[in-house]
Parts: sequence; C-alpha cells; structure tokens
Amino acid sequence: MKTFEEKWTAWVDGQLSGRELAEFEASLPDKAAAEAERASAQKLGTLLKRELGARTLTNEEFFSHQLRERIAQEGGEISRAPDGRRIERSTWWTIPRLLWTSTVSLAVFLACTVLVMREKNPTEESQYLTQILNARVDPVVSPNATVSIFEVKQDRVTVLWTEGLQSLPPDYAAK
Amino acid sequence: MGRARAFLVVAIAFAITGATSLYGAENVWSGLVIAENVAKPQPIPPELTRIERSLKKFFGYNQFQVIGQSQKALKTGQEDWLATSKFFGLHVDAQGETEAGYVLNLKLYKEKELLLETDAKLSKRSPLVIKGPQVGGGQLLLVLVVQ
Repeated sequence: MKTFEEKWTAWVDGQLSGRELAEFEASLPDKAAAEAERASAQKLGTLLKRELGARTLTNEEFFSHQLRERIAQEGGEISRAPDGRRIERSTWWTIPRLLWTSTVSLAVFLACTVLVMREKNPTEESQYLTQILNARVDPVVSPNATVSIFEVKQDRVTVLWTEGLQSLPPDYAAK
Repeated sequence: MGRARAFLVVAIAFAITGATSLYGAENVWSGLVIAENVAKPQPIPPELTRIERSLKKFFGYNQFQVIGQSQKALKTGQEDWLATSKFFGLHVDAQGETEAGYVLNLKLYKEKELLLETDAKLSKRSPLVIKGPQVGGGQLLLVLVVQ
C-alpha cells in the first residue's frame, strides 16, 4: 500500500498509469494547483540536470589531467589521503640526505683515487728511483778512477760506484 | 644531526691536515759511513736500517758506522748543508724540487781536496749510496735518504 507522498512523487514523475492514475487524480482536492506544481517540479528537474550534470572532459583536458597525476605520483611531493585531501610530503634533498650523499660521494672518490694511484705506481716506478745525472772525479788526484751507476729496484736504492779512487790510511775513518 | 655535522667537519679537517703534512717540509739525512768487516759487528745505525740488505749485498761488509752526518729540513728545495767527519766533508747543495724529489749537487772533500762531484735527482722514496775511497781495510760510503 503506497502512501500519498509516494503516489504524489510517482505522479509528478509521470509514473502512474491506468486505474491507479485515475484514482490518484480523483483524490486530489485541487487538480489545477497540483498540475501547476507538477509542471514547476519537472522544470526544476530539467534545470538541475542541465546545470549539475558531470561535464565531459575534452581529450586535451583529459591528457593534461593524467599527466599532472603521474607527475605528482612520481615526484612523491603530493599524495592524496583516503578522503581525497592533498598531503604535502618532504622533498628528497633534506639535510641528513645531503650529508649521507656527500659522505658516500667522498668514499667513492677516495676509492677511485686509491685505485688510480695503484694503477699508476708500477708504470711510474722508475720516476721514483733516485737518478744520477752526472759524476766527476778529480783527474789529478785519481787519474784512473771510473764511475758506474746501479739501481736496486727491489729496495729502490741507487748506487754510484767508483773505482780507482786514491786509498787512504785507517786514520781517515775517525769521527 | 648536530653530531653528524660535527663528525663531517672533523673528518674534513683531518683530511686537510694530512694532505698538508704530506706536502710539507721533508728531512734529508746525509751521512758519511765507514763500512768494514769485523769479528763482532755493531748494530746498524737506525738511519740505515731500511737499506741494510742492499748495503751488505752490494759492498760485502758486515758493519756500518756513521762518522759524520747532517739532517736538513728542506722547505724551499734551495738549501745547502755540510756533513763532516774529522777528515771528510760532504757538501750538499739543493737546486730545486720536483714532484719526484730534489735536484742535488754533491761534493766530497778530503780536507780541502775535492775527490768527487756528482749531480743527482734524489727521490723521496729512493736512497742514494755513493762508494767513496778505500779507508784502511774498509770503505767510505756516502748515504742520502729523504725521511
């Protein structure tokens, strides 16, 4: 059994028919006023449907919207709470992260430096051995003296070897 | 957070100090050494410890005694100095510094008589040994080491 309000709503929406329609219209005290009210309600319904209905996005707008959502997701700067509110998150370059990054960079730099130095040393070893550029002995004091040069690479010692220098008595070993 | 920052500052300070000391003044030890063969050899002087094996192998003596020495801190690489014993004098004249070491002019005198002159590029990692004249049953050696 429908109430009067239910039947009224159905009548306004044009959903009553046949015997039910005739009985309802007969029960109306002022049919002309009811007709006017129904016309007014239908007019309002049409207006609301037109003004409040979901607006269809154009292709361009849709693409732009998708892009913005994607950027926001990847950047992690803004996310949405379950209720749709925007939540601001911190950016990546915070001070602790900067510190960690600089420490790690320094460690990597040192590791690379050590590697490069290790690779460089063997090729440049001869550069780090002492070199004799020239050697002279007094031809008057030691006319038969000769000089030669040795390099002991294992111990990194360079030796200037002289032969034929004037021999001296043991007294010359005094401090 | 504050602790991490302090740690970083200290680490950088240590690194800078270390780097500075690496490139700071260096000592060159120059010595007049008598090498001999004796029954009871004395321990080798500490300045010669790192080249003891080479000295013994090359010269065939079992005792090395310092009869004169000098230690010079090089700051400009242009310094000169003298290591002397009673009869010998070794004059060292530094004539510049390169990445690998120092350019030196060395003169060995017996009293006032020049016995030997040589120019050498002394490496910071590589000692120089010069065989001098025979003295009695031993040998005079000149040794230069960057310490």
